Amino acid sequence: MSKIMTVDVLSSIKGAQPSEAVSKLFEVIKNANASHNNAFNNYHNSVSLDDLRDDVVIDSPDSEKQIIIENFPKEKNGYLVVSKVIEE
Amino acid sequence: MDSQIRSIHQQLVNKDITCTALVQEKLDLLAKNSHNTVNSLLIDTALKAAKKVDDKIANGEEIGLLEGIPFGIKDVYMVQGTVTTASSKLLKDYKSAYTATAIQKLLDAGAIPLVKENCDSFGHGSSSENTIFGAVKNAKNPELVGGGSSGGSAVNVALDYTVFSIGGDTGGSVRQPAGYNHVYGLKPTYGRISRYGLMAYASSTDCVGPIAKSVEDIRIVLNVMSGKDTKDQTTYASAEISEDSLASSDSIKTVGYFKNFIENDAIAPKVKADFLAAIEKIKAKGIEVKALDFFESNTLVSTYYTLAMAETASNLSRLDGTNYGNRIEAENLKETYAVTRSENFSEETKRRIVGGNQVLSQGFSDEIYLKGLALRDAISNNFEEDFKAVDVIISPVTPNTPPKIGDSLKDPLAMYLSDAYTVGFSLGQLPTLTVPQGTETGLQITAAKNNDELVLKFANFLKDTI
Repeated sequence: MSKIMTVDVLSSIKGAQPSEAVSKLFEVIKNANASHNNAFNNYHNSVSLDDLRDDVVIDSPDSEKQIIIENFPKEKNGYLVVSKVIEE
Repeated sequence: MDSQIRSIHQQLVNKDITCTALVQEKLDLLAKNSHNTVNSLLIDTALKAAKKVDDKIANGEEIGLLEGIPFGIKDVYMVQGTVTTASSKLLKDYKSAYTATAIQKLLDAGAIPLVKENCDSFGHGSSSENTIFGAVKNAKNPELVGGGSSGGSAVNVALDYTVFSIGGDTGGSVRQPAGYNHVYGLKPTYGRISRYGLMAYASSTDCVGPIAKSVEDIRIVLNVMSGKDTKDQTTYASAEISEDSLASSDSIKTVGYFKNFIENDAIAPKVKADFLAAIEKIKAKGIEVKALDFFESNTLVSTYYTLAMAETASNLSRLDGTNYGNRIEAENLKETYAVTRSENFSEETKRRIVGGNQVLSQGFSDEIYLKGLALRDAISNNFEEDFKAVDVIISPVTPNTPPKIGDSLKDPLAMYLSDAYTVGFSLGQLPTLTVPQGTETGLQITAAKNNDELVLKFANFLKDTI
């Protein structure tokens, strides 16, 4: 069950097409010599298990809540209207 | 040591000026918006904060070094209650609910933010033309670009509209505009400063970076912003860099540069000649200079852009008009997403999102994305080997001088390639500073990871050397 998704659908951008400038960059990568092909990162940005932050719920201050409400100005029956998110 | 922050601090303490007059003067200059550097002004909060500083001084209380110092913030940082647009149409009315850690630390130290600064939308650009607020004009020649993506920040510092500004550097976005406008700009080691509250472009290379007119000011601001933050788990604890430690550069015995950056057709002859002349002056001080091998510029640029586009496609997927942004309603949910994003993103941002989704999609990911990651590993390994042989690496910041406003938008590939000298150090997550010396667009100084102090030391040494 594979369904081909075009870049405009993947990107949620109407009529989007791959660009010539970006394709040229990809060609360079395809043709480059990489010494190893499946190495996953040297950057060591991972967090040690001993160093994880506490799993607690932190209540936002009222000032923060107020601004979040301002960013979503629509209201219905005391609730913020953000959008319908389940449709199919 | 030369320092604008120390000099203003002394004037405030001596009561030569009031903080209110200082802040008002800078706000008046910014209000003219002569170089399109201003997205919004923080007039009320700035004047209120300035009055508090004046009251403290009048009461004979001591003030901290950064207390009352006016600064600017690239408009990609959350500052509670301010509009944070990322210079985009999508977020033109978005108000920050909280404050970024790096900025909060500056506020806690008493520095006063005056302005949210113009930049390329979401950091997508090298010229600060990809913005709804008009192209940022170069501080030295307004017909040229201000550089990007932190163009507004570099120009404000260069024109003394702010004492320092906080930019963001993903692939050169602090270092290149600093070079184009003849000021200092630092990309610290990745993880030294928390990214919490910096709007994400490419999370694996995004860095908070100060722009200022002296090495000392960069040091002061860097120290305040550095440190571990539980809200960004890639951060690490770092030691404070002392003023005294910058006085001696005896620990720097060997300097390297990349041969292929200099020996190619893309570099302007004058940039090349000036760079080589700078090398000779460093040699004359008894420092050994080694020419190093490195990856081809187009490999560096392609690796960086491939990974950055993949990360930005992912990071910006939340900007759909539901979670964030100016929603445009259409006949169904999917259409609403698509219309919202199509109408509100700039052409350059769309180009990068589409490129990112291309490389992450089945059939492309092995051939391009995973290979890009492998190339990044090879680049990092190369740096590790280099820093066994040399203490610091110096490079030009850009191959050419700033383009005219309008030219970069016509040729995106040329714009990507203009980042050839900055992106490699981003991939390596290395501390790199632009100094306004050596070539028309400055020099970059790079050291091994976590060695930001060595970068500042060498910059201090170069001040009197070239």
